[in-house]
Amino acid sequence: MMPSFVQSLWTALWQDAPLVQAPFFLIGIASLMLWPGDLLIPRDQKRRWSLFTQIILGITLYLVVVTPHRSGFSNMFRIDTMTQAFQLICTVATLATVVLSKKLLDLMNEHTVEFYTLLLFTLSGMLLLCGATDLVTLYFSIELMALPIYVLVGYFRDQERGIEAGVKYFLLGAFSSGIMIYGISLLYGATGGTTTNFEGLSTALVAAMDARGTMVTLGVLMVLVGMAFKVAVVPFHMWTPDVYDGAPTPITAFMASAPKAAAIFAFAKVFGVAFHNIPNVWTFGMEYMAAASMILGNVAALRQQSMKRMLAYSSIAHVGYMMLAILSNDPNLSIRSFSGVQSLWLYIFAYLFMNFGAFAIITFLQGKGEGERIDDFRGLSQRNPWLAFAMMLFLLSLAGIPPLIGFFSKFILFKMALERGFVVLTVIAVLTSAVSAYYYLGVINQMYFRSSTGKDSLKMDRMTGVLVSVCALMVLLGVSASGWLIDIVDKIKL
Amino acid sequence: MISLNLVLFISSLMFFIGVAGVLIRRNLLIILMSIELMLNAANLNLIAFARQSGTVDGQAFALLVMGFAAAEVAVGLALAVALYRRKDTVQADDINLLNG
Repeated sequence: MMPSFVQSLWTALWQDAPLVQAPFFLIGIASLMLWPGDLLIPRDQKRRWSLFTQIILGITLYLVVVTPHRSGFSNMFRIDTMTQAFQLICTVATLATVVLSKKLLDLMNEHTVEFYTLLLFTLSGMLLLCGATDLVTLYFSIELMALPIYVLVGYFRDQERGIEAGVKYFLLGAFSSGIMIYGISLLYGATGGTTTNFEGLSTALVAAMDARGTMVTLGVLMVLVGMAFKVAVVPFHMWTPDVYDGAPTPITAFMASAPKAAAIFAFAKVFGVAFHNIPNVWTFGMEYMAAASMILGNVAALRQQSMKRMLAYSSIAHVGYMMLAILSNDPNLSIRSFSGVQSLWLYIFAYLFMNFGAFAIITFLQGKGEGERIDDFRGLSQRNPWLAFAMMLFLLSLAGIPPLIGFFSKFILFKMALERGFVVLTVIAVLTSAVSAYYYLGVINQMYFRSSTGKDSLKMDRMTGVLVSVCALMVLLGVSASGWLIDIVDKIKL
Repeated sequence: MISLNLVLFISSLMFFIGVAGVLIRRNLLIILMSIELMLNAANLNLIAFARQSGTVDGQAFALLVMGFAAAEVAVGLALAVALYRRKDTVQADDINLLNG
């Protein structure tokens, strides 16, 4: 018997509320920050919001950890260890962004409460997206995540480049979500209007495949296109370099880690659970996209002059590797087998630190009034040896050079893919990551073997120092802590 | 009762007009309208299938999509205004600082 409306409302409000405590806490606090919070802080004191936001994010971390494990809201939302692990990555990345932004916002004299509230809103979208187990919740949390980011990209509204990047990102993002929602409506129709739940779809779609094959195929492919736009894989990557280039650097660092982690986890869940029983429809497309991203991302990064554009193309390549992890979710095992997603988590975890470390250094140099071109790194080792050393660590780790964490995560991912029989894709992945070493080493060459002409030594400020040191430590100790990391990853199960 | 195939035909027509509008037209506001058309095509589908199955899930989803469309337009128009203030244009072809 269907529960009555009052009954469902009661369950949603009382029993299921703890499941969404972290995102709802964020939405509540962010709304209060806008009003009346902002009235209490005088105009020249807005920088205080930075510390306040950091405290809020600390509380969010705690709330994410203590969330109970179960599904709720009529099976539309579910928290488990895997979800929590991805939620933690998103929260930590947001925290790092807040820390990183402070200096830049000081410099531009652009501290406003809106910057921080937008970050909190987008984080709440990500936390919901990680837990989504229904196409409805998936779609809406993706939008809640994306809308504030469009604004954040164009945050410096007197800089033409930022606004152009924002408009571009908005148009392509809205276009892709239009495609995705149409795909979802087709899937909903193909099941006879009965379910949009992942678990429900996994059986309903097999039955629908006989009766309405075209509708199912079109729907799945449209959802694939929509998700591919969000995580930026070839051939839906056109916006990435422009948007990464035009956005404020801390926001670029943010976009490359947190929304990507949440979206790719949702990607893995949609295709690993909902479309898991009809692999013939989407496997080929995904294999093609993974291979194309790895090749095009790495080759296009070779000829970039701007550091931010280079990292944008390298992020496309890294998403290609992550697609490999989604593919190696073994479709023959039960739905609960998520070992591919475990290696995915490890990969994103490692990527978070390498990525944030590198962007922290770029932000710091920009703050000193220097450019973001690769030439501007010339002779960095003479000007600040520690900074150059840390940058070298991040770049080598991105390239996947042995004793660093980047090698470790890549190795596990490739091994997994090989065991699942994706030999050609793994060979492409290994070859392209050898290509990637070329452009990463190019930057290291500039830093160590070219001399800077007439520039003084650089002094690091405390915040950048702490952030860079933490990231460098994680990258360095990754392998010595590998046993411990594997233990953690082992605990991450559905 | 109108047949489901007819609804599907109309909604796909709306959807492709929307896609074509996004790809062909260069005015930001018209692109925005075309995106709305795509969302409304999906809404039509959702409502028709919900009616067919006799449940209200699809209709509730359509209501949510409308709410989302409003939020999206708010952000999109704000960005368009910011662009117009800087560049005195809302043509997509003039967004060319970052090409390459």
